Amino acid sequence: MRTPSVASLALLLPALAAADPRIVTTTEGLAALAREVAGGRARVESLSRGVQDPHFVDANPILAVKLRDADLLVDVGLELEVGWLPPLVTQSRNARIQPGGPARLTAASAIQVLDVPTGVVDRSRGDLHAGGNPHFLTDPRRALQVAAAIAERLAALDPGGADAYRGNLAAFRARIDAAIPRWQAALAPVKGRKLITQHRTLPYFLAWTGLESAGELEPKPGVPPPPAHLADLVQVARREGVKAIVLENYYDRRSADVVARHAGAKVVQIPGDVGGEPGVGGYEQYIGVLVDRIAGTAR
Amino acid sequence: MRSQVVASWLAAVLALPAVGGAQEPVKDEAEETDRKKLEEDIARELGAPPAPGEAQASPQPGAAQGGAGQGAAGSGDAARLARLLMLPDLSAVVSGAMAYGTYDIEQRSPRSGPFGPEGKPAFLFEELELGIQAVVDPYARADAFVAFTPEGAEIEEAYLTTLALPAGLQVRAGKLFSPFGRQNQQHPHAWEFVDAPLAQSRLLAEEALSGAGVDVSWLAPLPWFATLHLAGQSTAPGEEDPTALTGLARLEQFFSLGDAVTLGVGVSAARRDEPGGGAFRDLGGVDLYLRFRPLQSRSYLALSGELYARRFRGAEDAPDGTDTGGWAQAFWRHGRHLGYGARYEWAPSAGEAASGTEQRAAALLAWLPSEFQRLRLQVAYDRRPGGEDGLETLLQLEFGLGAHGAHPF
Repeated sequence: MRTPSVASLALLLPALAAADPRIVTTTEGLAALAREVAGGRARVESLSRGVQDPHFVDANPILAVKLRDADLLVDVGLELEVGWLPPLVTQSRNARIQPGGPARLTAASAIQVLDVPTGVVDRSRGDLHAGGNPHFLTDPRRALQVAAAIAERLAALDPGGADAYRGNLAAFRARIDAAIPRWQAALAPVKGRKLITQHRTLPYFLAWTGLESAGELEPKPGVPPPPAHLADLVQVARREGVKAIVLENYYDRRSADVVARHAGAKVVQIPGDVGGEPGVGGYEQYIGVLVDRIAGTAR
Repeated sequence: MRSQVVASWLAAVLALPAVGGAQEPVKDEAEETDRKKLEEDIARELGAPPAPGEAQASPQPGAAQGGAGQGAAGSGDAARLARLLMLPDLSAVVSGAMAYGTYDIEQRSPRSGPFGPEGKPAFLFEELELGIQAVVDPYARADAFVAFTPEGAEIEEAYLTTLALPAGLQVRAGKLFSPFGRQNQQHPHAWEFVDAPLAQSRLLAEEALSGAGVDVSWLAPLPWFATLHLAGQSTAPGEEDPTALTGLARLEQFFSLGDAVTLGVGVSAARRDEPGGGAFRDLGGVDLYLRFRPLQSRSYLALSGELYARRFRGAEDAPDGTDTGGWAQAFWRHGRHLGYGARYEWAPSAGEAASGTEQRAAALLAWLPSEFQRLRLQVAYDRRPGGEDGLETLLQLEFGLGAHGAHPF
């Protein structure tokens, strides 16, 4: 671990051979993908819970203990975890999971990022993510890309399990590939419809499903909505025929309720991630719930 | 956990243009009247005046708020520029206050925090703290903090932290706040209250107990967080010789009591050489931290307190004997914009006050328009030995610029 190069991966092998790799992820969505790929061969744990807003997790030193023992850390990146992960990684004293280390995988590096801001980037525009939108696991195609990156990294760290990881990935890919047409069929009746979200959490989902956004309750990222903005949104919603105000269940829903009432739309609460509500224990269930809830607004 | 004030902005996702691309709607007069009425209805239904910081006209939901390139993989030019130049993370935290006290704090209750002259309000500039932080190489990172105050510039901290030592070891070397207690290691903008407890400035050091030296810490291979620090530093708790050697030890532990509750317990000890053959001072401390935060909530309750004891032996300018002091506080962060605190403290009196124990109780109201600025009102009632009482009021503004650091825990 003196050099964060691929060559140093070899140094890790003896350690991994003794026990199943321990994979720590920052979110439950990433943990779900890691479990698909690892099968029973690795222990997987998420630092945050699906019911939490991933922007506002506490930098609780207890989490550094989990990182100390991690053989692989998978984070989202794009500054989603900038408020809590860096000090934990430093406290962990685990050289391999430092940024750029052999046991650190930043999922955003595996996908094409949307919403990369251009022009002036400063906080007059709210709490924007300068690197782009980090909520990419709402698109199953991108989730597969992330799962593939996890499989490749695991195969490098634990060559003895490489075949198993690639086999698990192929099985997961087959399931997702089979599910995508079902999900798209379920959403066909609402294709082209516009919806409003609390925060820009769904651009990847919308890009995948062919739905559109009519705006956000937050006038700028992370900024709570004033009545003037909500009034504007109501007018937009009426004009554009918006039927759904979609928000993650960790947000206060009062503003959404008000807009929905005036615009004649429905408030649709969704889990923010895998584990975000009871019964949403795996990645397919998570996407299934998103699809069902949003398709349900057509009925 | 340093640049925190700045904190959580992370939030948000994105930035950009409200999707959907809509064009600026053409509005006729009837529609505008309708919109005004809607806004009034919504304000009434939400049962509150517009949230802070939002008095200005809101952007049109359909209009782009600045262009964002959709689908440009990793092409955040502005974001990448700093990385290409290998610039360290730069941040600044600025604080200033309006102070009013009914007695002569400088003479009768000397301390490090902001205070004004007796009986009249005063505006005080506190400091601009410049933070420069970056990874140095694959083996270490560096953190430096320079405080610019009306007295001049001072390096508060500048140290290297190892990232790649084996066996759970980590070394920090440079100028650093001593690993003694919890609050002593935090920068002022990480404190819930505007000033430091009296006991901290009277028993540990006028400002923070700090100095050049080395701190070696070991993360024990236990299922909870337990670190043992052993440090050697040259410290100057007051205005004396800044080269006196100080040895410190600290055991810090955090325990999880369910999903929503975390308990932190620390024990610290230090011995510092004093002028005079074989003279020294001993410091001892205990700190407790209990934090309740439901997983889904931005709100939390933090209960904390510290006890300090100081004993001189054979020192030329201090009588042998033990002094003690401490503080206990509760802070309730209510949602994203408000915080409330209460603190009780006691410490040996100082300055021209009669000798004995000084007690102070303070209430705090914090308003945070965003994660990058806060306005705090702290009102304290101070009772000094001999029946002297006094009231102090501080209204402090603090704001952070630049790189976003993690939130303090």
